[in-house]
Amino acid sequence: MKKSALIFLISIVLVSCISGEPKPIQLNTDSCDFCKMTIANGKFGAELITQKGRYYKFDDVACMIHFAKSNTVVPYKAFFVGDYLQENTLLPVEKCYFLKGGSINSPMHGNAVAFASDKEAAQYQSKLNAKLLTWKELYSSY
Amino acid sequence: MKNFCYIACLFFAFQMMVAHTIHVGNPYPLKNIRKAIAQSKDGDTIIVHKGLYREGNIVINKKIVFWGQGYPVLDARKKGEVLSIKADSVVVKGFKIINSGFAALDDPCGIKVYNRSFVRILNNKLDNNFFGIYLQNCNNCEVKGNIIISHGTEEQLIGNGIHCWKSNNLQIIANTISGHRDGIYFEFVANSVIWRNISTKNIRYGLHFMFSNDDSYITNLFKNNGAGVAVMFSKSVKMINNTFEENWGDSAYGLLLKEIADGYIFNNKFIKNTSGIYMEGTSRMKVEKNDFISNGWGMKIQASCMENEILNNNFLKNTFDISTNGSLVLNTFNSNYWDKYEGYDLNKDGVGDVPYHPLSLFAVLTEKNTSTMLLYRSFMITLLDKSEKVLPSITPDNFVDKTPLMKSLPL
Repeated sequence: MKKSALIFLISIVLVSCISGEPKPIQLNTDSCDFCKMTIANGKFGAELITQKGRYYKFDDVACMIHFAKSNTVVPYKAFFVGDYLQENTLLPVEKCYFLKGGSINSPMHGNAVAFASDKEAAQYQSKLNAKLLTWKELYSSY
Repeated sequence: MKNFCYIACLFFAFQMMVAHTIHVGNPYPLKNIRKAIAQSKDGDTIIVHKGLYREGNIVINKKIVFWGQGYPVLDARKKGEVLSIKADSVVVKGFKIINSGFAALDDPCGIKVYNRSFVRILNNKLDNNFFGIYLQNCNNCEVKGNIIISHGTEEQLIGNGIHCWKSNNLQIIANTISGHRDGIYFEFVANSVIWRNISTKNIRYGLHFMFSNDDSYITNLFKNNGAGVAVMFSKSVKMINNTFEENWGDSAYGLLLKEIADGYIFNNKFIKNTSGIYMEGTSRMKVEKNDFISNGWGMKIQASCMENEILNNNFLKNTFDISTNGSLVLNTFNSNYWDKYEGYDLNKDGVGDVPYHPLSLFAVLTEKNTSTMLLYRSFMITLLDKSEKVLPSITPDNFVDKTPLMKSLPL
């Protein structure tokens, strides 16, 4: 009984290491793994997890994409970006609607932001005068 | 009516028009600033007397002198921007500007200047604003003698103290800034000078350059900021006579240089920082006559840096003087004073006869594996360090100062 409980505990610990859930960004404490700047604005933040379960945090989607493109050795498990309309909340990129350009001004001039729904994105598209993109389009645009 | 003409005539005689002075606040009948601005014409002076003015957003859209006496308080009560300047040649002087809104999407400010030239913002006190002073697309403006304080915390989103965007020929002089995200922030700003400012206790950087070329910052104090000072993606930035002090933390640097070129770092003091200077992708910089005192790392020079010249600096009481992450050395070290130098000077010319290798073995080891720091000052490490000094094997042997000084430079 004890043994199985131990195994259970250990497996939980191990699984939680690579659960694929994003780690929250500690604002003004964490620094960007690409540009070294301290991350101050969660709306533009981004995070990626490698297959091995390592986390990298970024202050701008552009930094994450440049980082991902510069490294072809380690395979990536998941990408996350900050929700533009929420305070420091990370969303998986596949479910996001991106706006790029216009009057968006991000820390490293990727100038792209993410929304959780297409309604929100459409609402801000005219306001920010930006272009609507999918994750794939955004990835290849840098 | 009598005292209207006197100052005005002197001041605006050349304009061939009669300028007026409009008084607002006790003991004058006019109590409302917005009304005063509506009544005014280009060239007028509005003198606002002591008192509390809760008029929300005040827009100055005429060329006027807006002069507070006895620090009248403009309070936006946490809604939107306090003072918006939408005319050239406006002077704003002597106000206390408090409580702008705190909104993340539209960046409300204490004072914001929209696409204007020759605006002067002098001797104001700003307290508890999201952004302090924001110059957007401005030329030839002056921001002088302001005290800008906010009360940001680590977890909270807050704006910058003095934020300059897409501007030219700015003068940022003698301001005191604390509690903002970045004390002073330059983005696409050229040919500007930052002089005699004190930037302390800001949450991120004391001063932050992005894509800003041909600027200088001279005789400023940056102390106790979240991550020191960052100069990034810029060319020809001159950094003279500044003090970088007490920036502690894992990602904190006295001065972070990233992707910059052709700059000049002269006569600065780096005291008690985790890393005095951190360089990455930096080229053709001259680092001359600086003091590096009591830092964890004096300079961290990444392998991506080249053609930098480090000469005539003092390295005193640092845990590590220099550290790097590669074996390629494309930078030169000449005639620095290293307090860890143990050579001799037989011909008494003040220059050590034995070259000095500033990169210690242990610095290389900790760069590769941070947890080896545990062994710092152990007997084995000291032994290894000594043997490495005699016969360099792991550290690059061209990482060398051939003319180390015997005495520290009087800086």
